[in-house]
Amino acid sequence: MDHDEEEEEEDEADFYSGGDSDSDHLDLAGEPDSDVSDDARHQQNYSVLGEEDILQRQEDDIIRVSNVLSISKVSAGILLRHYNWNVSKVHDEWFANEEKVRGAVGLLEELLVEFPNDNEITCGICFESYPCDRIYGAACGHLFCQACWAGFMSTAIIDGPGCLMLRCPDPSCTAAVGQDMIDKLASDEDKKKYNRYFIRSYIEDNKKTKWCPAPGCDYAIEFIVGSGYYDVICRCSHSFCWNCTEEAHRPVDCDTVARWTLKNSAESENMNWILANSKPCPKCKRPIEKNQGCMHITCTPPCKYEFCWLCLGPWSVHGERTGGFYACNRYETAKQDGVFNEAEKRRETAKNSLERYTHYYERWATNQSSRQKALADLQQMQTVHLEKLSDIQCQPESQLKFIIDAWQQIAECRRVLKWTYAYGFYIPEQEHAKRLFFEYLQGEAESGLERLHQCAEKELQRYLTATALSKEFNEFRTKLAGLTSVTRNYFENLVRALENGLSDVSSRSACSRSGSSRSLRGKGSSSRGERSKVTFAALRSIGRSSSINDSGHWSCRHCTFANNNSVTVCQICRQRQ
Amino acid sequence: MQTSRARLFKEYKEVQREKGADPDIQLVCDDSNIFKWTALIKGPSDTPFEGGVFQLAFAIPEQYPLQPPQVRFLTKIFHPNVHFKTGEICLDILKNAWSPAWTLQSVCRAIIALMAHPEPDSPLNCDSGNLLRSGDIRGYQSMARMYTRLAAMPKKG
Ligand SMILES: [Zn+2]
Ligand SMILES: [Zn+2]
Ligand SMILES: [Zn+2]
Ligand SMILES: [Zn+2]
Ligand SMILES: [Zn+2]
Ligand SMILES: [Zn+2]
Ligand SMILES: [Zn+2]
Repeated sequence: MDHDEEEEEEDEADFYSGGDSDSDHLDLAGEPDSDVSDDARHQQNYSVLGEEDILQRQEDDIIRVSNVLSISKVSAGILLRHYNWNVSKVHDEWFANEEKVRGAVGLLEELLVEFPNDNEITCGICFESYPCDRIYGAACGHLFCQACWAGFMSTAIIDGPGCLMLRCPDPSCTAAVGQDMIDKLASDEDKKKYNRYFIRSYIEDNKKTKWCPAPGCDYAIEFIVGSGYYDVICRCSHSFCWNCTEEAHRPVDCDTVARWTLKNSAESENMNWILANSKPCPKCKRPIEKNQGCMHITCTPPCKYEFCWLCLGPWSVHGERTGGFYACNRYETAKQDGVFNEAEKRRETAKNSLERYTHYYERWATNQSSRQKALADLQQMQTVHLEKLSDIQCQPESQLKFIIDAWQQIAECRRVLKWTYAYGFYIPEQEHAKRLFFEYLQGEAESGLERLHQCAEKELQRYLTATALSKEFNEFRTKLAGLTSVTRNYFENLVRALENGLSDVSSRSACSRSGSSRSLRGKGSSSRGERSKVTFAALRSIGRSSSINDSGHWSCRHCTFANNNSVTVCQICRQRQ
Repeated sequence: MQTSRARLFKEYKEVQREKGADPDIQLVCDDSNIFKWTALIKGPSDTPFEGGVFQLAFAIPEQYPLQPPQVRFLTKIFHPNVHFKTGEICLDILKNAWSPAWTLQSVCRAIIALMAHPEPDSPLNCDSGNLLRSGDIRGYQSMARMYTRLAAMPKKG
């Protein structure tokens, strides 16, 4: 019974995300790729690497190069490190000009100096004499004693990862000193450190891999560069953007995140005084506070523009003509011929722009803290409540996964919602239609998420505090699972729509038939264009008429849930069909 | 500490044995401290420093020779890579390109080479660097020669 129900839920989810039953869907019928691109989206374009995997891959690469080039594994390691662990680059360069590569990397083919025949040999660093079996050299033949080698290596290893490119101590010599020498001559502690750098280099110098930025996490992520979205989830559950290593931020791009973060840090200090007594710098438009009596204002770095507080004119033109540096009569003149009002107007604009920023920032920050709260709740749910609920409702914990799913979805939605506020902040003022449409979509998203959050928080409470098995628990399951799936789809579509720059918005207002909008959607690859069409069909169906479709479902006009045709009241929100 | 002392002692003995072998360099160890040395070097010929004798001070770290010695000019010198006031020297082998196989003697040789071949792109003395960078070789040479005469030549009579 339960099993059947689960299958049905999956069907419904597929139905909703793929098939939009209203007329927009007809437009998609001739485009067979829409499902394919959807699958591609779900296909992972990255893998999480633990230490074992990293060691294995590094070893594999070294063996490959060693075999193809017929060189020792140590030499292969030196070569790979030099070419940032790019195997094909090593092959290309080597076979193009082996001699040049050997020179650059320091892989010598023969001794530079002959091994002396004396019994006693002088170390090139401490100048002491040693018997020939107690003095060592790299491929070049420059000889040093064990203690001097160990000191030399230790100095390099303390200096950092540059020790992986160690060369012979002889000033005129470029011979590489590889891992075999380290193993033979360095102290145990230095060997360990060197190995650490060697492994780290495989991740850090490799263009395809990065460490997970979560504190204390030792996993690395290998990403298929050029394969699409950068959002990755580490095995430690931290989700982040592989490209900029900030926390995951779809639907906004890395540049917007960087701009927004910079703006927040620049604004945060200013938030309090800003409204009271500030004018925008005439050059960089940042609000400037006048905190001294002097009218000579210098904007903060990097701008450093110097201007006059009274007239906002450049300080450099103040002087004789304006009646001296500290007696600006341009202010008087300006007031007389109305230029002053311009300045006042500009001040007004700055105030408005600050209010605008505050509006977006507050909502961005609120969603951020809601997300933290949701993650904490999820944690609490997994560690405490689930077991309790399982006992009360006599359900195996595996059957309660839908609650975890719901909370994970809530956290994810809060994350998306948060970034939509940065997105909204950067929609140009003049794109009025786009802004309106964006705000409509955002509002829908917000209320959809509220619905899910309410259900997962308040309604669940009843069953958590119940003393006995509740008959309605299965209904609750259907409702929460349904809301989760509906909300997930809505947000996925929202993300894709925003990533497409809401490119349909102009065509939406221009043409009534969506079919003719294709030519207006200029940018992006064809598959992205098609995907955006799916998106809009789906988005538009939200909040519209409920409709019946041939697979035996109708979607609720109120909450968009796909109900079975056998019922006439929405299983989720209790609205009539 | 022990290693650096032993190594410096070896250099000391070498200096004693080779006395006069290189007439351009005269290395002297401090009477009471083997970690303090001075050197007198001759300004290379065909340079504005020709005829001058320049004194260098060496302060040697305990990690020597794994770490480079600190060297500065005690004699005033007008050179793009030497700080005019402190005598500090900007030379790669005294910093990141140091090798423990270098000796105080070879450091002196490297400094003499630097006097003949200034690197105006990493100046410690901007006036001097700017003259060279702007192509005013004669200006540079006459300034350098003037200071050589003032500071690095024995006073007459
Ligand atoms: Zn030695
Ligand atoms: Zn060598
Ligand atoms: Zn992680
Ligand atoms: Zn990013
Ligand atoms: Zn400014
Ligand atoms: Zn003024
Ligand atoms: Zn409904």
